[in-house]
Amino acid sequence: MIVLRRVNKSFDGGGSYAVRDLSLEVSTGETLVLLGSSGCGKSTTLKLINRLVEPSSGSLEIDGRDILHHDPVQLRRSIGYVFQGIGLFPHLTIRQNVEVVPRLLGWPPSRRRDRAMELMEMIGLLPDDYAERFPDELSGGEQQRVGVARALAGDPAYLLMDEPFGALDALTRDTLQQELLSLKSRLHKTIVFVTHDIFEALTLSDRIAILHAGAMEQIGTKEEILGRPATPFVRDLFAKPAQQLTAFREML
Amino acid sequence: MEESWLEFVAARLPELWLRTREHLMLTAVSTSLAIAIGIPLGIVARSRPGLRAPLLGAIGVVQTVPSLAMLALLLALLDRIGAVPAVAALTLYALLPIARNTLTGLQGVPEEVREASRGLGMTVRQQLLMVDLPLAAPVIIAGIRTAAVVGVGVATLSAFIGAGGLGQFINRGLSLSNTRLIVLGAVPAALLALLVDFTIAAAQWGMRPSRRTEAGPILPRLRPVAVALPFLLFAAGIVPQMSPPATAGDGERTSAPTIRIASKNFTEQVLLGEIMAQLLETRTSLRVERRFNLGGTMICHRALTSGEIDLYAEYTGTGLTAILQRPPMSDPGDVLRIVREEYRREFDARWLPPLGFNNTYAITVRRGAAGREGWRTVSDLAPRAASLTAGWTAEFSERPDGYPGLIEAYEYRFGTTLDVDPALMYQAIHRGQVDVIAAFSTDGRIAAYDLQPLVDDRRFFPPYEAAPVVRLDTLEAHPEIEETLSRLAGRLDNETMQSLNYEVDHRKRRPGEVAREFLLSQDLL
Repeated sequence: MIVLRRVNKSFDGGGSYAVRDLSLEVSTGETLVLLGSSGCGKSTTLKLINRLVEPSSGSLEIDGRDILHHDPVQLRRSIGYVFQGIGLFPHLTIRQNVEVVPRLLGWPPSRRRDRAMELMEMIGLLPDDYAERFPDELSGGEQQRVGVARALAGDPAYLLMDEPFGALDALTRDTLQQELLSLKSRLHKTIVFVTHDIFEALTLSDRIAILHAGAMEQIGTKEEILGRPATPFVRDLFAKPAQQLTAFREML
Repeated sequence: MEESWLEFVAARLPELWLRTREHLMLTAVSTSLAIAIGIPLGIVARSRPGLRAPLLGAIGVVQTVPSLAMLALLLALLDRIGAVPAVAALTLYALLPIARNTLTGLQGVPEEVREASRGLGMTVRQQLLMVDLPLAAPVIIAGIRTAAVVGVGVATLSAFIGAGGLGQFINRGLSLSNTRLIVLGAVPAALLALLVDFTIAAAQWGMRPSRRTEAGPILPRLRPVAVALPFLLFAAGIVPQMSPPATAGDGERTSAPTIRIASKNFTEQVLLGEIMAQLLETRTSLRVERRFNLGGTMICHRALTSGEIDLYAEYTGTGLTAILQRPPMSDPGDVLRIVREEYRREFDARWLPPLGFNNTYAITVRRGAAGREGWRTVSDLAPRAASLTAGWTAEFSERPDGYPGLIEAYEYRFGTTLDVDPALMYQAIHRGQVDVIAAFSTDGRIAAYDLQPLVDDRRFFPPYEAAPVVRLDTLEAHPEIEETLSRLAGRLDNETMQSLNYEVDHRKRRPGEVAREFLLSQDLL
């Protein structure tokens, strides 16, 4: 379980806040989607959880322990992270990319290798074909699959995903979303997923937290949010795509 | 008779090999040091933006110091000649491309890759070693390539301060006006630069990970070989330097004490060095190490006082004015007395009896011009001086007994002054590129180029009697040096010295050979 209590983050010494007075809980096995437009503080929130960014005030706990008491390096190794820019290591093969965290954790080479092969099969990139390729030989969708495999390699209980499919075309994005859903049901990870895409949020979430200007507007299941939007902002947020969908259907 | 090119090279093959290895050693050691210092500097510059500008600025300033000035500076700083100041200078030069490329390479690591390395739980050190440096490697290696190739070039100048290398041939060629010697140094140096560049480029290729798409089984297997190339080259430079010299045939010779004789970088000095060396080699059991063609008076003097050489031939007037910083004097006996006393007191060195000639500066013009204008003395030039171009050697331009003193003594200046190389000034005046030079009065080329030395009518130039200057502790350890070299006293008058110089400068004969003939003619061998 991840708990944030009244967390604030300012990058300019209090002039403005990227995250303002944010409190939320992510229960074990749950997928929480942080939804909001760019600059709303959702990526910062994600980075606060694995200490890529330190809070200005407030506290964060993982499994009941304040994360400031964790060594940040150890903490990050125990949390899977899928980056917005994918960020595969271009000088390493696909297998070596997937093996990075096990290597940092000091696993013996044979165990690392087995784990990498297992994950590559799971994400549908056959090791025989892909293991010794380099990232720039893969398509964008394949690269982000590797990004997911790399995040899962150390078998972390938590997975943080920062707009992982944002840069992919619509078809690939849809495929990867479906794959993530099936992974989720098999692996029982606790996932915090950041996106600005409302449909993605609706597809993947157990609960959604809507952020605006660093503060939380509403948190709840999609039924709760769609049924009882807590603020005008939330209502408008979902109203616009609904109008677009109607217009689209009429065109068809 | 001049030897053919083939004979010329063949006769110098062992030395060529030695100098090439020395050259390789200078380049390899300095480049390695620069890598060891420059890469960390580049890393610090990235992580501390505040330090970046001052750091790179400082290295950049170092880079702008002209190579010769840098060598001279380090010579003074380290107070010794030879490989140490040369390696230090070369290292400083190699620093900038390596440090700057390290910084550029590290800055080029994509932000998302850096974030990933941090976010996955790499320590700062792991980020650097596993991600940043491997990704920056191509740019860093490009910097090392630049540094090494420039290093091979600059290393040719190290010969000026007695560090050896292929510059030795170039130096000797310049001081003896011998084009073949220059080529013998320059061409192998250029080839060496190409070789160094090639091996590093090959290593860079070898370090790139093999791609599956690369066809054929041979190429990937060559990669480790390619990576090894620069290290092999490095080893070739270092290893033979550390093993005992291959020429050590019989134990008796190697155990004999060695004394080191130096010379400045012009013909007469090399000849005097050879004459003293051959005399000592024949008449005593001492071995002689020749450290000839050092880049000037101050370098020889410093080498002598720091104990890196035992003796060289100096001129009394030079000792008085350039070393002791006294005003010029005209009486030869007084000058000799003063340098003897002061050298003993200040430098623990001894002036042995003068060799016989007085190699003074001679303000010299073309004979034709002298006849036409009626010039006989230095004073005669005064009315036309403003329209004349003078070509001075670097030393003459600065020394108190050079142009600055000349202006005071004769109360006129020349319209234009150019710096000329001592070896090239006779040609320069002969071809009319300059009108006046400060020739060395014992130079054979005064006659050969049909030049006219003018009379020093105000007796400005002090006497420059050549004599061996020896360290006192060397004389104590080997008293036979004094006795042996004293046999040369008075044997070399101006005419003899002129003709010996002429044999080398104009007839392109080897100094060793000319020196030997002279010693034989004097029944000294």
